[in-house]
Amino acid sequence: MSGLTVTDLHARHGRADVLTGLDLTVGDGELAAVLGPSGCGKSTLLRIVAGFHAAASGTVAVGGRVLDDGRARVRAEQRRIGYVPQDGALFPHLTAAGNIGFGLPRAERKARVAELLDLVGLGGLGDRHPHQLSGGQQQRVALARALAPRPDLLLLDEPFSALDAQLRIELRAEVAAALRSAGATAVLVTHDVDEALAFADIVAVMRDGRITQADAPDTLFHRPVDTHVARALGEANLLPAVCADGEARTGLGALPLSEPLLMTEALTSSGSGTVLLRPRQLRLGDEGMRATVTAVHFRGHDHRVELSCAGEDGRQERLVAYTDTTPPGPGSSVGVTVVGAAHALSPAGEAAAAPAPETETVPERTVAKAH
Amino acid sequence: MTLTSTPSPAVRPPRPPRRIRTAGSGVLALVAIVVTLLVASPLVFVALEASQSGWGTVQRLLGRPLIATLFWHTAVLTAIVTVGALVLGFGAAWLVERTDLPLRRTWTVLVAMPLAIPEFVHGYCWVSLFPSVQGLWGAALVMTSSLYPLVFLPVAAVLRRSDASAEEVARSLGKGRLTVLWRVTLPQTRPALAGGALLVALYLLGEYGAFAMLRYDTFATAIYTQFETAFDTVSASVLSLILIALALVVVLLQNRIGRQRGRVVREGNATRPATPVALAGAKPLALLAMAALVGVAVGVPVYALGYWLVKGGSTTLPSAEIWSLTATTLGYALAAAAIATAAAVPVALYAWRRDTRLARAVEQTAYLTRALPGIAVALAVVFFAIRYAQPFYEQPPLLVAGYVALFFPLALTAVRSSLAQVPHGVEDVARSLGTAPLAVLARVTLPLILPGLGAAFAMVALTASTELTATLLLRPTGTDTLATQFWTYTTGLAWGAAAPYAAVMTALSVPAVLLLTRRTLGGARTAKEAAR
Amino acid sequence: MFVGVRSMKRSVFTTAVTSLAGLCVLSLSACGSSGASSVSSSASGGSLAGQTITVYSGQHEQTMDALVKGFTAHTGVKVQLRSGDEAELAQQLLVEGAASPADVFVSENPPTLTTLEEKGSLAKVDASTLGAVPAADSSAKGDWVGLSARSAVFVYNTGKLTAAQAPTSVTALASAFWQGKLGIAPSETDFTPIVTRMIQMKGLAATTSWLKALKANGKVYDSNEDLVAAVNRGEVAGGVIDHYYWYRLRDEQGASSIHSALAYFAPGDPGSLVDVSGAGVLASSHHQAAAQAFLTYLVSKPAQQIIATSESYEYPLLPGVTDTRLARTLQQAGPVDSAAQLGDGSQAIQLMQSLGLLS
Repeated sequence: MSGLTVTDLHARHGRADVLTGLDLTVGDGELAAVLGPSGCGKSTLLRIVAGFHAAASGTVAVGGRVLDDGRARVRAEQRRIGYVPQDGALFPHLTAAGNIGFGLPRAERKARVAELLDLVGLGGLGDRHPHQLSGGQQQRVALARALAPRPDLLLLDEPFSALDAQLRIELRAEVAAALRSAGATAVLVTHDVDEALAFADIVAVMRDGRITQADAPDTLFHRPVDTHVARALGEANLLPAVCADGEARTGLGALPLSEPLLMTEALTSSGSGTVLLRPRQLRLGDEGMRATVTAVHFRGHDHRVELSCAGEDGRQERLVAYTDTTPPGPGSSVGVTVVGAAHALSPAGEAAAAPAPETETVPERTVAKAH
Repeated sequence: MTLTSTPSPAVRPPRPPRRIRTAGSGVLALVAIVVTLLVASPLVFVALEASQSGWGTVQRLLGRPLIATLFWHTAVLTAIVTVGALVLGFGAAWLVERTDLPLRRTWTVLVAMPLAIPEFVHGYCWVSLFPSVQGLWGAALVMTSSLYPLVFLPVAAVLRRSDASAEEVARSLGKGRLTVLWRVTLPQTRPALAGGALLVALYLLGEYGAFAMLRYDTFATAIYTQFETAFDTVSASVLSLILIALALVVVLLQNRIGRQRGRVVREGNATRPATPVALAGAKPLALLAMAALVGVAVGVPVYALGYWLVKGGSTTLPSAEIWSLTATTLGYALAAAAIATAAAVPVALYAWRRDTRLARAVEQTAYLTRALPGIAVALAVVFFAIRYAQPFYEQPPLLVAGYVALFFPLALTAVRSSLAQVPHGVEDVARSLGTAPLAVLARVTLPLILPGLGAAFAMVALTASTELTATLLLRPTGTDTLATQFWTYTTGLAWGAAAPYAAVMTALSVPAVLLLTRRTLGGARTAKEAAR
Repeated sequence: MFVGVRSMKRSVFTTAVTSLAGLCVLSLSACGSSGASSVSSSASGGSLAGQTITVYSGQHEQTMDALVKGFTAHTGVKVQLRSGDEAELAQQLLVEGAASPADVFVSENPPTLTTLEEKGSLAKVDASTLGAVPAADSSAKGDWVGLSARSAVFVYNTGKLTAAQAPTSVTALASAFWQGKLGIAPSETDFTPIVTRMIQMKGLAATTSWLKALKANGKVYDSNEDLVAAVNRGEVAGGVIDHYYWYRLRDEQGASSIHSALAYFAPGDPGSLVDVSGAGVLASSHHQAAAQAFLTYLVSKPAQQIIATSESYEYPLLPGVTDTRLARTLQQAGPVDSAAQLGDGSQAIQLMQSLGLLS
């Protein structure tokens, strides 16, 4: 397995520009998730990496081997890249075993197929045809089939989206575990935040044909570069703020800033900008700024509370908080305090698409490792 | 246990990227276009011939008061028969696939059986038994009862494969059975209905023999008059061009209707067989309707054949010759079926893989030839063969080429509809598993469309084994087929002597229809049964 | 009869390749069709035995088979007989042009031969062959020779009409008496010459109103075969056909099933038409001598005798040979109408098309 490096990738569908200068680096043995709304070009990215679609310009390399440079392409069948599409696309005329063994040389087929059936928990079902398997079983076969030839890289195109919620959670955990234990490099594309965060070592947020930010899930969640990424990762309280001396003055009072060094870049010269507070950072009680509860939803593991409070400039701010204890009912007045630091954001779209330093992988290094 | 914990044993050094910009897809496009140009060459011939006519000829031909009548005749008959075939084909398919009609398997085979009866036998049987069957309604009756299986088979196939849950949901929303039938079941089968209607309509545009027997003049009969009574190829070609224009309208219309996806939402994997609709009190009525349909469409021709076998004064025990003619007929039909099916694969694949304007145009062009009268296609083959392939002239390959040109659209339809059932992405996945494009074709795509290939093969073999007009023109000198021998005897008024040939033709077609029925319908049912 | 799934999977692939290759060869292998043939023997001298000629024939197939056998036995020349519809074969010859493999064309009616003659497709027939039959029976230019003849007759159902009610003139068929009783087959190549004669004898206007009346009175049939059968079973009372259709029907159905009889139009009536079948040698033939020999044979006594006894029931043309099964002799049927006078019938066809009798 080797890392994937995509550099300044451009692609078109007919006359429409789908990818517009996309950069992505996935380290050797890493599981990456590309997160984005439907139509943002994430499937196209996978199809270019897999070799089903041509890049207009830019470079795609796996383990330092250039697969597509916008002029010449390595054929899909020579790339050693596994692919699991959304619906599995099992070969309906072959059994589960036949599907898994499809990409294997005849000699090693039998042993390897048995090994993979066990891995995906389908031991004994090798003789079944796809239509005799449940949706989850079909996806497991599709995964086993892609893994069977020991690809350098595995691509998963929303492979769990057709499954019901519980099965989806179980299967993605199993798959992630299986891939980790195998030391596989994989790229998953999805529009489901939970899936991306639960599955991947790094998550790349995609928008309008490029990657806005790629980082570890935790970093991405708490320190997004802009409001778009902040929203893409989950509910966000975005508060106007004036920042100075490592503090942000907001409607909820003066809050410490998480990254004083980065702060200046995100703010205008006057120091006004936007800061992020995740709903779990808000605590409800008797202290702090007063706010009015407008709605409460019980969600089993917690409560989601919508609040309204007077902002810095006199406007009403809408806030969302998650609490573990039962909050007061709608119409009640509560005090809001903040836990942890506020994170200063660039306005959406202005963030540089530069990958964070810790995920940067130099292709040469990977090649050396592969040898 | 490990899956890929050990790195792949041989890590190959990075190889220089290969240029593949046009490799696989370019070759396919080229082959598809070449095949289409070959099968569409009759259109070129007709255009060449027509271009020799002066404006005066065109005016004389089109200025006749009769032309408007013929136009009207053609349009009305095409409309009536197409609608009739849609109603009968859909109704029969619904009864055998969605209700608790008794003996459904038997009915399925019987209802498809008119395909086994050669077209001219259909017309001839009706005319000889019921001379009053003629004119518009006579033609409508005979053509509808012989053509509805072209709708029945694809619709039954879709109903068998599609999930009944949408229908159940509609019932739960408080809709009655008829409303569900009209608003849910029918739209699901829309592409199949459109495809069947296309074949029926194109067939009607080009048909001559049956209409001549039924004394109903259409555009095609006018073309035959120009060819056969007036020996005027140029005028005939001018009229043929108009027929092609009509065919183009039909093709574009079908494309429009078929594309508004009434697609089956779920197929194959999770589908459950529908709980049959209980006919209850309507059961006798349904059985009666099916019996009437089969009686009219199959019973009458079979009875007429039997009648002439027994009654005809010229009936002799078929000589040994009939078996050698059978072998000849089969040989040509099977060769034509194999080639037409093989040639349809690249065109269908191209149109399926690329949904571009060019790909659609290529596919649609291939259908147009179907609307040309057989004699125009045959003369076109003569025209090109004598100029560019003289060693093959009046040799067996020429007749095979003629059949392929005539019946390619039938093969294309069958292959195309089976490709539509292939799950998207399987070819991509196969390539990502390290399989080269041709191997993907052999290991994945072709096995998946095998039922379609079987249906295409059976359909062409069936039709070619009873073809007459082109056979007379293109056969090697001295070669006879069952159809030409039948024709020789009937033109000599020796119906009794002709009957055994028609009977053998029909008997030969039965296995092909069985194959066709099984290929079109079979796969999904056996798979489902295995699942239970 | 159909190959198994597995072998088919494999064979589809190979057939795809081979068939495409075949189609390409078929369309691409341009060949010099104009290349001179090696065989071009002169008309006289030397045995023709061993040569093979190709005959396109629109004539009654069983009769032609017998004639071809006789010719081969007589001369040793092998014959490849291509039987078909005369109009289609004529079309085929025109499309083939100079490259045609045909050496001889035998027609059922003169118009096809006349069309080929006008296009210059026919070679001159040997004078001795032309001389065997009356001059009026062959092409005036000598491009084809007459072989046999048929006369237009009126067939009537004996249960519906008496012999006295049968018309003596085709003009009578326009009268109201025939309303609903008449059958016609205007798309038959045999019907066109009657209309041509009508135009020539009565004028265009009279012919137009006559045809209109026929259309109003009559039921239109696709062929003479259909028409004669319809008359016999009483579907219509009568109609104009060529005489031999009735004899062929009698053979098929047996004399006991015949409920019809023939009546003849008066001499000089446009309906009393006697028409010939003829044969010509293609100008492009590379076997001129053998082809001419075939024509010579066709008008010889043995060949005409075959015609006189065959199931085609046409009149032989050679003086002295008669078909004794026919009710009338050729002489009684009337003089043969010269093909030159009847022309290619285009005026009659256009008239019928304009009236809606032909599509």
